[in-house]
Amino acid sequence: MATAAPLPFDALQGAGLPAGWVRILADGCHIRPAPPVPAPASGPDGRVLVLLGGEEDAADSTLWAPPYAAWVEATSPATPGRHPDDSASPAGVLPAVTAAVARAGHAHLFASLSTATANAVHLAGRVMAAVSARRSLTDAQRDDMELALHEAISNAVVHGNLQVAGMKGLNVDALDRFSHDLARRMADPAFAGRRVEVSCWLEPDALTVDVTDEGSGFEPAPKAGATPDASGRGLDLITLLAQSVELLDHGRRIRMRFTL
Amino acid sequence: MDYAIEAKDHESIVRLRGRLTFNDHAKLRTLITEMQGSKGKRQILDLGNLEFVDSAGIGMLLIAHEEMGNADKQLVLRGAAGQVKRVLSVAQLGKIVTVED
Repeated sequence: MATAAPLPFDALQGAGLPAGWVRILADGCHIRPAPPVPAPASGPDGRVLVLLGGEEDAADSTLWAPPYAAWVEATSPATPGRHPDDSASPAGVLPAVTAAVARAGHAHLFASLSTATANAVHLAGRVMAAVSARRSLTDAQRDDMELALHEAISNAVVHGNLQVAGMKGLNVDALDRFSHDLARRMADPAFAGRRVEVSCWLEPDALTVDVTDEGSGFEPAPKAGATPDASGRGLDLITLLAQSVELLDHGRRIRMRFTL
Repeated sequence: MDYAIEAKDHESIVRLRGRLTFNDHAKLRTLITEMQGSKGKRQILDLGNLEFVDSAGIGMLLIAHEEMGNADKQLVLRGAAGQVKRVLSVAQLGKIVTVED
């Protein structure tokens, strides 16, 4: 899904990036650079894209309120979530940033974060704050959407990008194995540096959300049998909470639609 | 997620706070060990101050339920509200674990 025509950004702002990076990255993306905080003046439907220098910047809740409408982590995949050094060159991240910014231009709200950062800042809650600022939702609607989005992002993080298998069986050995695998993969930039992307399209009476990962994809399998497992309920929950769910790109993209 | 345990002879009350998600695997593991080692037959998890639970949190509660059964104890989930109550209901956890208001 994409908007009919790209939606332009009013400005690009950096948060926690080395001096000099913002102008170079903004030029590369063909968007006007704005000075760092406060948010640049922009109308009620303004669109400002923010390039995040790391996990701390992504955790700043003021950056998830309007006019901010797109969030792209501009860190090296080798050091996900960590501020680039002042001596580092933006050239290394420019291709990934310009590609993400081009995708951002086709959605009303867009986030592209490393796996490490998406997990650390509770990305689902951040995106729902941005949605709630633009549409009035009841507490129950917001809770259900946040859970569905959280489950989709968790699947992208754990099974997609980190390629950690779920907890098999219902015992502490399954929990120990899961803990061990998750910690090992989260500490490995080859996995934790992979991107999770969320795109939202806000219509008057519906919200469509895509979540993508950079894993190897999966084919949904029928439930194996009688032995219950501690994992494997996420997709079922999403199906119960959303009006419709589609798995695309061999399972690397999930599209959820909610009626408002 | 954080928790505080109040252990009595016949039961323990464990008050959970914050968010219970797949990131809490290590804390849940420690909590299960503590509950296994306590005297009380009834291990009550008070969810009143829990703000958010996800499907992995539900899975970990099922592991706790199973491990308490193996240790001849009973797990009770008490006082869920808001989002947590909704998830317990959607996941139909009451069919497997004792859920009290």
